[in-house]
Amino acid sequence: MNAPTAIGNRHQGGAGDPVRHDSAYGHVDGEAIYIDDMPTPRGCLHAHLVLGRWARAKLTKIDIEKARGMPGVRAIALAKDIKGLNDVSPSIPGEPLLPTDYVEYVGHPIAVVAADTEEQARRAAAAVIVEAEPVHAVLNVREALEKQQWVLPPMLMQRGDDPQPIIEKAPHRFKGEIDVGGQDHFYLEGQVALAIPHEHDMEVWSSTQHPSEVQAMVARILNLPHSAVNTLVRRMGGGFGGKESQATQIACFAALIASMTGCACKLRLDRDDDMTVTGKRHPFLVQWDVGTDDEGRILAVDAVIAANAGWSTDLTPGVLSRALSHFDNAYFFPHVRIRGYGCKTNLQSFTAFRGFGGPQGMIGGEMMMEQIARSLGKDTLAVRRANFYGTGRDLTPYHQKVQHFRLPEMVDKTLESSNYAARRKAIDAFNATSPVIKKGLAMSFLKFGISFNKIDLNQAGALVLVYEDGSILLNHGGTEMGQGLFTKVAQVVSEVFAVDFEKVRLSPTSTAKIPNTSPTAASAGADLNGMAAKVAADAIKERLTEFAAHHFDCNQADVKFENNHVIAGNHKVTFAELVHHAKLARVKLSESGFYRTPDIHYDPKTMRGMPFYYYAHGVAATEVAIDTLTGEMKVLRTDILHDCGAPLNPAIDKGQIEGGFIQGMGWLTIEELVWNAEGRLMTHAPSTYKIPSARDLPRDFRVELLAGAPNEVASIYRSKAVGEPPLMLAISVYLAVLDAIAAAGGGGVPWLDVPTTPERILNSIAALKAANGKNA
Amino acid sequence: MRNEVRLVVNGQPETVSGVAPHTTVLNWLRARGLTGTKEGCAEGDCGACTVMVGTPKVEGGFEWTASCSCILVVPQLDGRALTTVEGLRDASGHHPAQVLMAEGGGTQCGYCTPGFVMALANLSRRPERDDETILDAISGNLCRCTGYRPILEAARALPHVPTPEIEAGEAAQLLAQTKDGLTYTAGGVRFIAPNTIDEAVEAHAEHPEAWILAGGTDLGLRITKRHEVPPALLWLGRIAELKTLSETKTGLSIGAGVTYEDAVPAFNRLHPELGDLVRRIGGAQIRSVGTMGGNLGNASPIGDSMPALIALSAEIEIAGPRGKRRRVAAADFITGYRKTVLEPDELIFAIHIPKPHPEAQFRAYKVARRIDQDISAVCGAFRLRIEGGVVVDAVSGWGGVAARPVSGEAWAAVLLGKPWTFANVEAAKAALLASDVSPITDFRGAAEYRRTVCAGLAQRFWHETAGDVPVASLEAV
Repeated sequence: MNAPTAIGNRHQGGAGDPVRHDSAYGHVDGEAIYIDDMPTPRGCLHAHLVLGRWARAKLTKIDIEKARGMPGVRAIALAKDIKGLNDVSPSIPGEPLLPTDYVEYVGHPIAVVAADTEEQARRAAAAVIVEAEPVHAVLNVREALEKQQWVLPPMLMQRGDDPQPIIEKAPHRFKGEIDVGGQDHFYLEGQVALAIPHEHDMEVWSSTQHPSEVQAMVARILNLPHSAVNTLVRRMGGGFGGKESQATQIACFAALIASMTGCACKLRLDRDDDMTVTGKRHPFLVQWDVGTDDEGRILAVDAVIAANAGWSTDLTPGVLSRALSHFDNAYFFPHVRIRGYGCKTNLQSFTAFRGFGGPQGMIGGEMMMEQIARSLGKDTLAVRRANFYGTGRDLTPYHQKVQHFRLPEMVDKTLESSNYAARRKAIDAFNATSPVIKKGLAMSFLKFGISFNKIDLNQAGALVLVYEDGSILLNHGGTEMGQGLFTKVAQVVSEVFAVDFEKVRLSPTSTAKIPNTSPTAASAGADLNGMAAKVAADAIKERLTEFAAHHFDCNQADVKFENNHVIAGNHKVTFAELVHHAKLARVKLSESGFYRTPDIHYDPKTMRGMPFYYYAHGVAATEVAIDTLTGEMKVLRTDILHDCGAPLNPAIDKGQIEGGFIQGMGWLTIEELVWNAEGRLMTHAPSTYKIPSARDLPRDFRVELLAGAPNEVASIYRSKAVGEPPLMLAISVYLAVLDAIAAAGGGGVPWLDVPTTPERILNSIAALKAANGKNA
Repeated sequence: MRNEVRLVVNGQPETVSGVAPHTTVLNWLRARGLTGTKEGCAEGDCGACTVMVGTPKVEGGFEWTASCSCILVVPQLDGRALTTVEGLRDASGHHPAQVLMAEGGGTQCGYCTPGFVMALANLSRRPERDDETILDAISGNLCRCTGYRPILEAARALPHVPTPEIEAGEAAQLLAQTKDGLTYTAGGVRFIAPNTIDEAVEAHAEHPEAWILAGGTDLGLRITKRHEVPPALLWLGRIAELKTLSETKTGLSIGAGVTYEDAVPAFNRLHPELGDLVRRIGGAQIRSVGTMGGNLGNASPIGDSMPALIALSAEIEIAGPRGKRRRVAAADFITGYRKTVLEPDELIFAIHIPKPHPEAQFRAYKVARRIDQDISAVCGAFRLRIEGGVVVDAVSGWGGVAARPVSGEAWAAVLLGKPWTFANVEAAKAALLASDVSPITDFRGAAEYRRTVCAGLAQRFWHETAGDVPVASLEAV
């Protein structure tokens, strides 16, 4: 299966073409419908949540009498109203949809109030009286770590010998740690669901990345078979992981009310409730103890990676596992031990977010490299390159062999294209004469494993329907959240039949059409669903080929699909004509396709195996300036070279790279989740929680896709997944800020937690100056 | 008096009655099926709900602005034209802003897109623009998917779209239809819209419970965030006297009802640093609606205009009953956390800013974690004049450093009559920290950080006036 080669008269929009997003015009003229835009069914109720006010407390009283009598109120759901099982955990049981005894964070939903209007529901929700006895709450990861308060058993990833004796004997030993902040997804469309009860089943429109989980959990709480619940989603207004597990509870609340009342019910969280109630990127604490030789080459590492899991287990097992498996990033550790802890705290349940723990593990590893290089007085880039994976140094801490490692070549290219060496000199010269403003320059690398590390999730289904007029309807199990998945999968089908992209229509994702879907996550949406769609389309194409050969009396080898036509021997008909004839000849024109990623295996107990089908790579070089009077920072230039294999859609992939980078930059620089001493999130709307805006773009922003580099493994048209990896290119911003701080503080190792707010930058400079003063 | 709101929606004249006056334009639009306009935050901070609002001009036609529909209430549109994303397409097809965004990869999830499209459509009415204008125009729009590059490129490629001629007639008709005053009541809430400041003062005395509504960019949050129902709304938007702007040789007088957007050009002429500071208040969609009077009346410790007004020795003119007027120095206007010198029967009338002495130095610095649409951790403004080698005039104004904006009096006292030297600047800095500022710790910054920044800004002012370092700010990099 090779990348298609362009032919003179090619169909429009096949694999590799930079087709615009399939909904682009609907987006710009307002015709693209999101769940809150759908006309509501007759008698539709609107729900509002009653939220807990305590970080941790034992419920003593829930009084709904007053609220029940308020205008328009139709139902109030409490835990006792759940007929099925009151647990919606996507992993280890223990996450009740509604609490029965303890509320575990400020914002914990306690009851659902439904009324004729949103306003009535809101007012009635405020009238529900909840009393509780507060008990001690744990609000930070260090306390949870100390108390060994876990949401899952500790993890251990190990390869080689016990690292401690090696570290002790090593020529150099470094210990360090970094606190990595969380991040709100800030999808522009908040969580929303619309549940519509039917005769014996429940239809649930949910802004979810995981329709099958919504289906399963709605079925579970309502005590229905999965077959009685149909989850649908046409598009989300952004997801980023925030609607992988977090959408489920919203859909369940709406379905619970719908089931209790027999009326449709919509639940839409406003921004403050959305940020207060739902999970975010995990904050992490990463600690290391490392031994190196004189060149800074690592001999052994002993690390602790602790995730702040929040109140429930949620997706922490996967997130933590990915953090452990990305601490190494691009570097070989001859002997390594990484312990992982999922720490229970009384905060929102931290969850999936683009990168899924990978970014947090990776930045820990990068800070370790920084400490090694700067402590030894060596060039940070040189020390990093000395530690790269390579021949004979190719086993990861999880025992997967690193193959097709593209970074050395990509680094060389970026050094040249970014004029790195000359700029390094210019920046050093600038800093020598500029006491107030300091510049920093750094390059960061990225090696990101592609596949779900939970092996069973690496499967997908699709259903391709060809109608007798030649139009095609495509269904698959993936969801569209803006990333262009629907466009890419349609391109695959367009490519198989050699018909224009416009001929392929996309159906909303529905669990009634594709069963047992995996979440659209782990960057794997196009890899999995594209391949499933190809399997289905190939099967139909094969039958059409057979039919055409028979119908036009030629060999099957002489049947070609080309530019919206089918050529059979000396005959040439349009695709639609052939399909019409095939229908009359009773040829089956629909097919379901199924795909499972080959070769991968992983034992989560020993944390060994080959969890990743392949790796995606990227390189970024970033230059920043910091203001030593206020701590303000500006990104001056970023050069990116990213590996998309043979891209399915270079325009969409570029959008993922740019968008991912800026989102990562937000996480690392200005986006700060601040909880007060009572555990209340203080930054719960864009007035207080700042994501990057257009002026924050690097002043000079250059993004290139690695050219002529098809995937070595048989991925869909040899492309590579691109959803998550580019987010981690923003680590170059963090490293450049460190470089500038080092210049401001007089050299040595700057320490800087994430996000690097102006306040942290000033404090870091002050600490470095103090440390240098002490050493002097 | 008229009990109905008259406006034009996507080219169609409409009359609204029976809609509670605190209903937001966003909710009103969506309830009637115009769902292209999205709610992203309901606080004017993300721009997903951006619409174009046309205000009839005296000389004919509309003055168009991009505004957030989530914190505008319906009667604020009386006598105005509204264009939503559904109304941009015409017989000839999509608007260039739509085509460029769609074709250039400017959309991913699409939820912020209608807001960007409206901001760009509004921008396309301007014949000339550079990158700064473009960035200003989308400063109130957030996108979480694209990373903005394709949106910027769409904006750069945007052609000038001239105003359709049909608008002249629409505007004239609207003006005629809404000449008579508006007193609109629905859902038990009264919306009072006086035509003169004296009427407003009178109405205020009659309805002391009424919320005073100017632009509503902060007041609107009481409706959308605190879910309060106003007992009544007293809207100042119809009062022409409040919208006057007069520039003389000695200074600038601006009515309390002048929006930031309309004030910025005049501020730039008074001093570019003042314009640059006000340009960083809110996003474009806030600046097109929010007023200078509202910024002061709001009495926030971090309202960004105050430090500069203090440093420029501005005066606030206050209107009282029976045509009474009085003036208060800017530094004395805000007396405590969200408290002002205003008596219950008074309203802010105008702001008078004297032109700085030609030899005076003036600087205004805002420190926040984001350049656009963010609230200061610290805002500091400085005025300084040196004559015969000594400081003869020194004033500084500070925001984010106490329960109210303050004047740096101890800082000034150290400097006056002394030479402008680094040693004296250091001494003034020490006095500033010791006596003038007393910041608190909150999520925008710790008290200690804010103090460090105060010192840093005082030092930057030195560097920028003394010219002793090659680069003294990030803007200069």
